[in-house]
Amino acid sequence: MRIAFRPTAVLLTLSLAAAALAGCSEEAAGDKDPANAGACKPADVKLVGQVRNESNPYEASWLAGGDDFAKSVGLTQQRLTYGGDSTKQQEQISQLLAGDTKCLVMNVLPNGDSDTAPIVKGADKAGAYLVTQWNKPADLNPADYKTWISHITYNGVESGQQIGDALVKAVGGSGGIIALQGVLDTAAAKDRFAGLQVSLKNNPGVQLLDQQTANFSRAEALTVTKTLLAKHGDKVKGIWAANDDMALGALEALQQTGRTGKVAVVGIDAVPDAVKAVQGGTMTATVSSDGTWQGAIGLAIGFCVATGKLQVKDIAAASRAFFAEQFLITKDNAADFAQPKTNPSDFECGNVFKRVAGPLK
Amino acid sequence: MFAALSPQFRSIENVQNIVDAAAVLAVVTCGITFVLMMGSIDLSAAGVMGASALTVSLLVANNRNDNDFGLAGVAVAVLLGCVFGCLSGLALVLLKVPSFMATLGVSAIGLGVATLMFAGVQPNISDAMLKGWAIERLLGLSYLTWIAAACVLAGWLVQRYTRLGRYAFAIGGAEEVLTLSGVRVKPYKVAVFTLAGAFYGLGGVMVTSQLGAGLVQAGNGYDFSAITAAVVGGTLLTGGRGGILHSAVGVVLVMVLTNGLVQVGVSPYWQGGVEGLIVVAAVAVAVIPQRRRNQVVK
Repeated sequence: MRIAFRPTAVLLTLSLAAAALAGCSEEAAGDKDPANAGACKPADVKLVGQVRNESNPYEASWLAGGDDFAKSVGLTQQRLTYGGDSTKQQEQISQLLAGDTKCLVMNVLPNGDSDTAPIVKGADKAGAYLVTQWNKPADLNPADYKTWISHITYNGVESGQQIGDALVKAVGGSGGIIALQGVLDTAAAKDRFAGLQVSLKNNPGVQLLDQQTANFSRAEALTVTKTLLAKHGDKVKGIWAANDDMALGALEALQQTGRTGKVAVVGIDAVPDAVKAVQGGTMTATVSSDGTWQGAIGLAIGFCVATGKLQVKDIAAASRAFFAEQFLITKDNAADFAQPKTNPSDFECGNVFKRVAGPLK
Repeated sequence: MFAALSPQFRSIENVQNIVDAAAVLAVVTCGITFVLMMGSIDLSAAGVMGASALTVSLLVANNRNDNDFGLAGVAVAVLLGCVFGCLSGLALVLLKVPSFMATLGVSAIGLGVATLMFAGVQPNISDAMLKGWAIERLLGLSYLTWIAAACVLAGWLVQRYTRLGRYAFAIGGAEEVLTLSGVRVKPYKVAVFTLAGAFYGLGGVMVTSQLGAGLVQAGNGYDFSAITAAVVGGTLLTGGRGGILHSAVGVVLVMVLTNGLVQVGVSPYWQGGVEGLIVVAAVAVAVIPQRRRNQVVK
């Protein structure tokens, strides 16, 4: 093999080495005293948003929201995606923390509950400001850490009940419904179904004819719904689905059996197709966690603390780990959610905890 | 048995429902049966179906672009399936990659291609013809079911009356004998994988028609359900035994099972386990007559 002199490669290697060296020295300097927290100039803050991938509409809207916020304070957001791979997520985080962490703000979607602990510990050691969303083990609390400002998640029992109530209303308070559950061993599936049961308890006129799992999948929901429709026939007045993908599968099943419009369908997540279906009237309701808001709020909270406009010790305990407000989308307000957008006033430092719906249980 | 336990199970609507639900699995199983007969295995269905689902949904009338190629789009998707199948076959005969790994790799490639085409926005189809396949009925069954029936018939004819079908059998039975008698088996192997790919491609198109949208996960789980159906029907994994009609029976059995468990009202928490148990039991019963002849189980 002939070894050729490649100027680009050499340049690249040199600059990499330089970057690595710079990173090391910065790390040594970044070992700051937490008492000085909040001394960052707005222009020095570095904003990072990390999600699984950009190939689903929800997480794409999350990053878009982060970009909107960054633009509003004259910065840019560094967008990171780890393709649902826990190892890759940890690598990206440790790379970030090996750099300049003095004014680093991270808004992170941990891949699973167990991925949160190493991220939190790393950020705490490096003094980087961190907001996490959705996943964390119950025994890990932001209140025990200095720079892990908040953990935000949503109450699945509440959303399950919200769409349950909407479904009860749509079928006129009496009749039979069927339920499509998610992957049975996930917290989301369990909580959402518990919400439906609360709703049914309050409305004894409505009867749950059958419940089956369709594993959050559109294709499985299609088959399961067709089977259940064959089993219960016209007794089925409504279909409760634990997410929108399954609701959309159920809609196809209704179309194929000639029942479109005769059976009410509800789901959760507010994926674009579902919002469109709600707008068009084929679906009754869905619930939105407002992905653009999620993408922006984590950066906004971190930005406020990093620039000293908020002090971690002043933040109420209930705002350190909380359920955020979620929105029931029906035909009346579907148009507002068809185009995701952010409202800049939500991200002013006095307003960042406006959507706290309740402390995490 | 299910018919005794649940009156709804016997209803005409439910029979239609079972047959309609079996359509896609039947087509995929047709493809996989040829490969199994040859003594190879094929795990590429999920990826090939995902790629073809995305392809067809972007080529017929949809919400992402202005294409409206109709049947030509379907043909392209099936052809793409052929290409993927051919790729598996070539990797097997030229690079000597075991079919297990070759097809697993091709599946990953298919999913990768599908993800690239997905590009963050789900393509919903508005093509009346393709959507109609799942909704409109002829003699009480959806067009998809008739397509599946045609595939089974075509598969049976290929197996019974063409050189390709008979050699596939022979390769599975005794490849060495075939080679020694001067038959060049390699082209036939590639051809079998290509044929299987075409069936998966069509399967992907059918899923798209059912769901009204192109999903990357269109083929999720079909690879193993198809192998299960083929084996339950009596096609051996060691090759040389079984065939399209056996597999078709297997498909109906598997669908009756999943449908029956829901109809009878088995709790969803139990269903997965019960289904697996019944499948193992069914295969055990099916191979009793062969146990004497076939001492080795692997």
